[in-house]
Amino acid sequence: MSEIAALIVDDSSVMRKIVERALRQAGLPLSKVYEASSGVEALDILKNERVQLILSDINMPMMDGLEFLRQMRFLDLAPDVPVVMITTESSEDHVKEAIVSGAQGYIRKPFTAEQVKDRVLPLLDLA
Amino acid sequence: MATPAREFLQEGVDAAHLDDAVDEVFRLMMGAPCTLIDESVTESRETITAVIGLAGAMSGACTLRCDLQTALRMAECMVGIRPTELDAMVKDAIGEVCNMVAGAWKGKHGSLAGGCMLSTPAVVTGTNYQLHMQQQEFRIDRNYRFEKHAISVSIICESIQ
Repeated sequence: MSEIAALIVDDSSVMRKIVERALRQAGLPLSKVYEASSGVEALDILKNERVQLILSDINMPMMDGLEFLRQMRFLDLAPDVPVVMITTESSEDHVKEAIVSGAQGYIRKPFTAEQVKDRVLPLLDLA
Repeated sequence: MATPAREFLQEGVDAAHLDDAVDEVFRLMMGAPCTLIDESVTESRETITAVIGLAGAMSGACTLRCDLQTALRMAECMVGIRPTELDAMVKDAIGEVCNMVAGAWKGKHGSLAGGCMLSTPAVVTGTNYQLHMQQQEFRIDRNYRFEKHAISVSIICESIQ
């Protein structure tokens, strides 16, 4: 099973650590974890680094997660990389907007490692 | 005709939804339940309050208040490392817990879930302060026990569209 690099985008450093821990508990073979505190920072990382998985919050200052997604697609960054939104916003409209913007999955906070495993592994064909 | 958010108000605000939201967040993120109690956070000690603004269908705030030791323990449960002081990581952790409580609470009300947005967290520290709103449609104040610690959570609604 080849290792993967992941990008975690959240303005909370605590939440970034929790997401990373959940990914490892889910059994993901992580070689590298990049962290970004905003969509702007995340785009800069993607311009220079290759990742195989992106997890992003929605509510962030400067550039929210949905705009980050749209900019990612517009700039053709990480075109085939699955993106999973991890957020407190749980309404059907938010989920639809995330999918339309380019997300492949959605996890509502609070979450368990099991939920992360169920949403993420199938996207990486590691289920 | 009442808006969906107004219908929520007319149906009656159920504090149990907040209880469920708080317990869900603490169980999933900190591995421990949060049970309803009568005693509130002691006023004389330094307290930490996280505030999440609510805007859109409902305007107001969600606040979570606790003392220093509680904040340190909550951060330890979330991150896995025991902090020794009220640093940026601890404030971040408390802010995130309040964020998740606010999101979980509004998610339980269909009329608010999509039409009410959350702000990024603000964290206030100090002693003997209160959050005041100019006008209030309703307010829910609840106190909980997390392990041996007391936490106060409030939903304050300034207006509903």
